[in-house]
Amino acid sequence: MKETSKLSSPIAEFNGVSFRYETGPDVLKDIQFQLQPGSFHFMTGESGAGKTSLLSLMYLDNLPTKGRVRLFGQAVDTLSRKEKARFRRQIGVVFQDFRLLSHLNAFDNVALPLRIAGTKESEIRRHVSELLAWVGLEKQLRAYPAELSGGEQQRVAIARAVINRPQLLLADEPTGNVDDTMAKRLLYLFLELNKLGTTVVIATHNQNLIKYFGFPRLHLSKGHLELLGTSNNKYVDLATKLLNRGEQ
Amino acid sequence: MTKKSDIPFSDDASKYFVPWMSMLMVFIATLILSGALVAYSSIQTWTRNISGSLTIQIPTFDLNGKDRQEAVKTDIETAVTILVTTRGVLGASVLSDEQMNSLMAPWVGENTDISRLPLPKLIDVSVDTNNPPDLTQLKADLTEQVPSAVLDSHRLWLENLIQLATGMIKLVSVILVLLILSTAFTIIYATRTSLLVHQPVIALIHMMGANDFYISIQYAIRSFKQTLLGSVIGFIATLPIMSGFSYFLNEVTEDFVFNTALTYEQWLILLSVPVIAAVLSFLTTFKTVSLYLKRFL
Ligand SMILES: Nc1ncnc2c1ncn2[C@@H]1O[C@H](COP(=O)(O)OP(=O)(O)OP(=O)(O)O)[C@@H](O)[C@H]1O
Ligand SMILES: [Mg+2]
Repeated sequence: MKETSKLSSPIAEFNGVSFRYETGPDVLKDIQFQLQPGSFHFMTGESGAGKTSLLSLMYLDNLPTKGRVRLFGQAVDTLSRKEKARFRRQIGVVFQDFRLLSHLNAFDNVALPLRIAGTKESEIRRHVSELLAWVGLEKQLRAYPAELSGGEQQRVAIARAVINRPQLLLADEPTGNVDDTMAKRLLYLFLELNKLGTTVVIATHNQNLIKYFGFPRLHLSKGHLELLGTSNNKYVDLATKLLNRGEQ
Repeated sequence: MTKKSDIPFSDDASKYFVPWMSMLMVFIATLILSGALVAYSSIQTWTRNISGSLTIQIPTFDLNGKDRQEAVKTDIETAVTILVTTRGVLGASVLSDEQMNSLMAPWVGENTDISRLPLPKLIDVSVDTNNPPDLTQLKADLTEQVPSAVLDSHRLWLENLIQLATGMIKLVSVILVLLILSTAFTIIYATRTSLLVHQPVIALIHMMGANDFYISIQYAIRSFKQTLLGSVIGFIATLPIMSGFSYFLNEVTEDFVFNTALTYEQWLILLSVPVIAAVLSFLTTFKTVSLYLKRFL
């Protein structure tokens, strides 16, 4: 992909971005920020502040009403349908409402991004089982979403978002339905991915997690964005330490 | 593990609708097409049986056995005038007594004076086969001006049959086009309904980076299978009806009036009906889904 060859260019770049739904008021106002490759951010802001909306601009579900969004170095409004589809395959999304396919079991739900990408079935079997075991669902491979608890569904949704090793991972409140121990375990999963080069943004209300991991925060209030926290690397190092400790 | 489709087709209402509809459409299409093929073969046979000449008889005695020598002369003159002015008639000549003699010799012997027999006068008409006269019109003209004239009716009857069969083939073509159109519209409608029902799933798969092809092909393959299933059943259902009808035609009509034996090529044409239906269904569905995705996602 030509955009990955530009190593220095940000994974995502927002320039004067405003956004509103149909005829409603602006929910995002003059947003300006960059996500460097390999960075890890939390996204915070009270309910209705626009977190999901901002993420949706990054996973190409919405286009900005004003301003310009660039992904992987390319302006999203200039992308062809094919390019958009290819970009989307590089982006893993954990939806706030999970959006699991109810007619598919946990295994097939997680396998979906691989199938869309045309991965061989033998590889799919191996990777999916492994990952579902990692999130503690090795016994629920064949369970349908309706047969899973909220937290279990959330873990399936997370597994589906990361199975592809995306370049950009966007997680919308991915730990809202699990206890803090499981929340930390899931964050380690994101950290593992981050160590392999994935840029991560996690929207969350969980203050414990934010304090525990201490990544910089993209904070939204009334549609405006500010960056809280300092140099990213420091946090990644800290997180790596934590991760190593967590695995002992 | 058997891979389940990403799109939950199994809870579609159209799952039964499309096979049933294709069954009915292919059933009808195959039946009328086989009718048209029989008509076509029969026309070939009939055309071979029509020669390039035509005969008109002018009786020399009326029904009461009274000699009508005088009337015959004017009748022949009028008939010949009508004939030579008819488009498609190359020439008309009255058979001479010698010609009549040689024609009748096998039956009455060489030396019989046939002028004493109540034989009609024969007018031999040569016809331009590439541009044949309108026999119905000719017959009407003759009967009006020469009521006694008798037009060789076998040829007229065959010509009428050929016209009927040709008209039937045209009608079948129109019905086939209508069947194809209505099938296509039904498939478009069923596909659109299914797209609406599965909108959230499709939007999700689309958002995960599925190309339009990935989604369209799943729909198209499903449509193909459904239509093929219905079509094959519909086709098989026509077989007993076709053989029954062929038996009936051969029983009630003279031998070889209808040419009901289908040739190898004609069987291929009939067999192509279910295949064409399934392929059409595949293409229509693929296009419908592609357009929908481009338009709404
Ligand atoms: N599809 C939509 N159509 C119209 N308005 C919407 C839509 N989705 C969200 N909004 C509005 O946009 C604003 C921002 O919503 P958004 O979902 O981005 O908030 P959020 O920060 O994710 O909130 P939460 O923490 O509760 O998930 C809200 O005022 C909401 O009512
Ligand atoms: Mg939200």
